[in-house]
Amino acid sequence: MPGLRLLGSELGVLFRRRRTWAMLLALAAIPVLIAVAVRLSSAVPPGRGPAFLDRISQNGLFAGVTAMLVAVPLFLPLTIGVVAGDTVAGEAGLGTLRYLLAAPAGRGRLLVVKFAGAVVFAVAAPFTVALVGAGIGAALFPVGPVTLLSGDSIGAAEALARLLLIAAYLAVSLVGLSAIGLFMSTLTDVPVGAMAATVVFAVVSQVADALPQLEWLHPWLFTHRWLDFADLLRQPIVWDSFAANALLQGGYLAVFGALAYARFTTKDVLS
Amino acid sequence: MTRTWLRWLPAATVPAVIAAGVLAGSLPASAGDPLPAKSPEQVLELIAQHRDPSFSGTLEQTSNLGLPDLPKTGPGSASGDTAWLELLTGPHTARVYRDGADNARVQVLDRLAERDVIRHGDQLWFYNSKDNTAAHAVLPAGGHHPSGQDSVPTPDRLAAKLLAALDRSSNVSVGTDVEVAGRAAYQLVLTPRSSATLLASISISVDGQSGMPLGVEVKARGQSDPAFSVAFTKLSLRAPDAAIFQFSPPPGATVKELPVPDHKATGAKEKRGAAAKAKVKVSGTGWESVVELPAGSLAKAAPAKGAPEQQGGPGSAASLLAQATVPVPGGRLLSTALVNVLILDDGRIFAGSVPLERLQAAAAAR
Repeated sequence: MPGLRLLGSELGVLFRRRRTWAMLLALAAIPVLIAVAVRLSSAVPPGRGPAFLDRISQNGLFAGVTAMLVAVPLFLPLTIGVVAGDTVAGEAGLGTLRYLLAAPAGRGRLLVVKFAGAVVFAVAAPFTVALVGAGIGAALFPVGPVTLLSGDSIGAAEALARLLLIAAYLAVSLVGLSAIGLFMSTLTDVPVGAMAATVVFAVVSQVADALPQLEWLHPWLFTHRWLDFADLLRQPIVWDSFAANALLQGGYLAVFGALAYARFTTKDVLS
Repeated sequence: MTRTWLRWLPAATVPAVIAAGVLAGSLPASAGDPLPAKSPEQVLELIAQHRDPSFSGTLEQTSNLGLPDLPKTGPGSASGDTAWLELLTGPHTARVYRDGADNARVQVLDRLAERDVIRHGDQLWFYNSKDNTAAHAVLPAGGHHPSGQDSVPTPDRLAAKLLAALDRSSNVSVGTDVEVAGRAAYQLVLTPRSSATLLASISISVDGQSGMPLGVEVKARGQSDPAFSVAFTKLSLRAPDAAIFQFSPPPGATVKELPVPDHKATGAKEKRGAAAKAKVKVSGTGWESVVELPAGSLAKAAPAKGAPEQQGGPGSAASLLAQATVPVPGGRLLSTALVNVLILDDGRIFAGSVPLERLQAAAAAR
């Protein structure tokens, strides 16, 4: 299977890069910073700061939830933008795209492999935040029954499962942005431009989501359901938002995947 | 050249397919099996024979009253006295569970937060996840306690109230069948006979099988979107899991014990209520009624609401009132799509579902 071998080498290159590890470390630093700050300060009054911040001192697992909440608007899109924006434009910028295309693997397959690499990173990023958050929270604070938004309590094992479920929700949420990044990456030979454009896309979408004048547009924005991961913290779980989010991201994947395919297969590769 | 064209084909097809899918999904779904035709009386009967059911469902509520949106984020959000007032503005989603007359749970799903009302037997709990507070009350045995279930208007309660208010002033008809939460439903339409009211129509969708009201839609004159609508988007008539009605306050939550309304207290309250009622004057009939509150009732009510430190804050009742009203000759007007409230400079308040001119006429008549 040349496709699988190509994916293996793509992932090997991605996760051998110092940049990838630096980004994952920066993401891991968010829960550590939050947990240490809460540990060192006096009790946080409820209702101040990001949601769930006051719960961390009662239950360490909330360090992961709070960190994900903080990372969603900017940090996660930033890292996805760097990885997805680099996929094709990075190779073009280094002058290696020509050699990749000289191999018998077609352009379509190369695009799929590149996208799969970006998606693997989109999965790794939120799980890093969740697991590091759960670890540092468990180390600094007691871990016990977790209070959900509905006021019901669940055991620590089930709470950990929900934490991982939230990370999975965020991984799905980032698929649309990865597809946008892939398309941006096919447009240019300058990787930084594709990265910046992808991040700008994420920010503009969130700004538009905050404007009540654009209410008709809101359900169509790929960032619209990013914060709905809180529905997984209700009892019983609201699965509707998970399904609706998956459908929305699938739509973005189809549109921007098709655009990227059209652009990449018709492009003159000179470098 | 043809090959280039082929490569761009998926990029053009995919958005077209998505658009077609969305259009097909948004077409008004017509009920599969047409319901047997019924007269308005028969539909009312169908509602009346419907008894305390067991169900679980999701309610969607939208308001288009023309009130300013309350701050949803930041410090002023959902502070004490405005938390429930906030339900009148903007859209909300709530999950409702009910098992018989004694078990009920309403979950108002806010962004990153939730407000819960749980009734289990005689135990009544309120929970707000935003500030992690809970309130508890024990309902007097036997008595029907209205609060808790009235906090979020479920369609059957709203319909019962509206039907009670229904009299000769309205034209009642049965509209075309609709589909609510995937169920075929009758649509009972009330149209005020008077043209001097702001109300255009009220439609209640009634489940064709069980007679359970599934949704209420209130339309204002000159507004195409409903001014207020609440309807189920999902409904299951099976009894919900019993664990849903079990509630104990989470560790770390602030629990407030609410005083139990005993007979002496309610007696005194009724007396006070009667005294207040004596001062409230109503002029006009039916939909055109204008209610007059005497001078001073607002001044008395305002400080009673909310703690002093909340006064003047972005979410406080006083600042909201100032924000929501506009100056008119002789006073200030709180204008919404369905109700106009005229607050005169001398303190008298006139309210009704009528245009401003009628309120001013009622004020001038005294």
